Amino acid sequence: MDIQTWHPISVHFPIAFLLLSGILSLYLVYKFKKYLAQFNFGLLLIGLIGCGIAIYTGNIEDGKVSRTLCDPTILKTHENYAYYLLWIFIANLAFWAVKLLIRPKSYNTILAILIIVSSLIGICCLVYVGHLGASLVYEQAAGVKVPSEDCEGF
Amino acid sequence: MKSLITKSIYLFSIVLLIACGKSTDVVESGTYTGKIIEVEADKSEIYVKTEDDKTLELYFVEDTKLTQNGEKVPFSTLEEDQTVEVEVKKVGKRLDPLTVKIQ
Repeated sequence: MDIQTWHPISVHFPIAFLLLSGILSLYLVYKFKKYLAQFNFGLLLIGLIGCGIAIYTGNIEDGKVSRTLCDPTILKTHENYAYYLLWIFIANLAFWAVKLLIRPKSYNTILAILIIVSSLIGICCLVYVGHLGASLVYEQAAGVKVPSEDCEGF
Repeated sequence: MKSLITKSIYLFSIVLLIACGKSTDVVESGTYTGKIIEVEADKSEIYVKTEDDKTLELYFVEDTKLTQNGEKVPFSTLEEDQTVEVEVKKVGKRLDPLTVKIQ
């Protein structure tokens, strides 16, 4: 299988894991439960690994599809926001690590605000990246192999 | 509380700036002179900063002619900070480099 096809497969994992983690983070700030926070930490970690893989496969695909796109600036924005969301969720992971491992008593409010802000911005970036990715495929046929009219080969 | 939220937003703005990607520009078909700011050899791609401060992202196509002193040279000749004259054709919002002359 061409590694190019790994991008559409790999993008869905970080979307699922990081979106769920972002929502769970918001809930945990409202109502903290340690076991749920630890579970969320795992979700974040897996989501970030998935995000790294998605960026890696996307970068490979970028070199292949850019020459066929009518508006490659959308691809560039898609790529930039993918990096933004990676950094934001890394920050989110760091905040949770501080909260769960160091457990500072005097900075709880600041940590809560940082977690809320990073989760909200992260979710927004995630949705925007997904929207741009869909736009590239559905509006510009990025990486799409169009079958012949008589569906030969199927 | 308000100042904490403001500080948090500032912090994230800094994170975004650190993580910031490249923004590129779309220009009309024509000839532009500028400096190469990045070469991505595995994608046969260069970023050129033009004299009027525009960043052009150029993916070499089959027809792209790369020359230096009037002679054809391979892509590996390209390096950062080289001054180049590029002739681009705007297709949609994509810029196809027709000629790239290393100066």
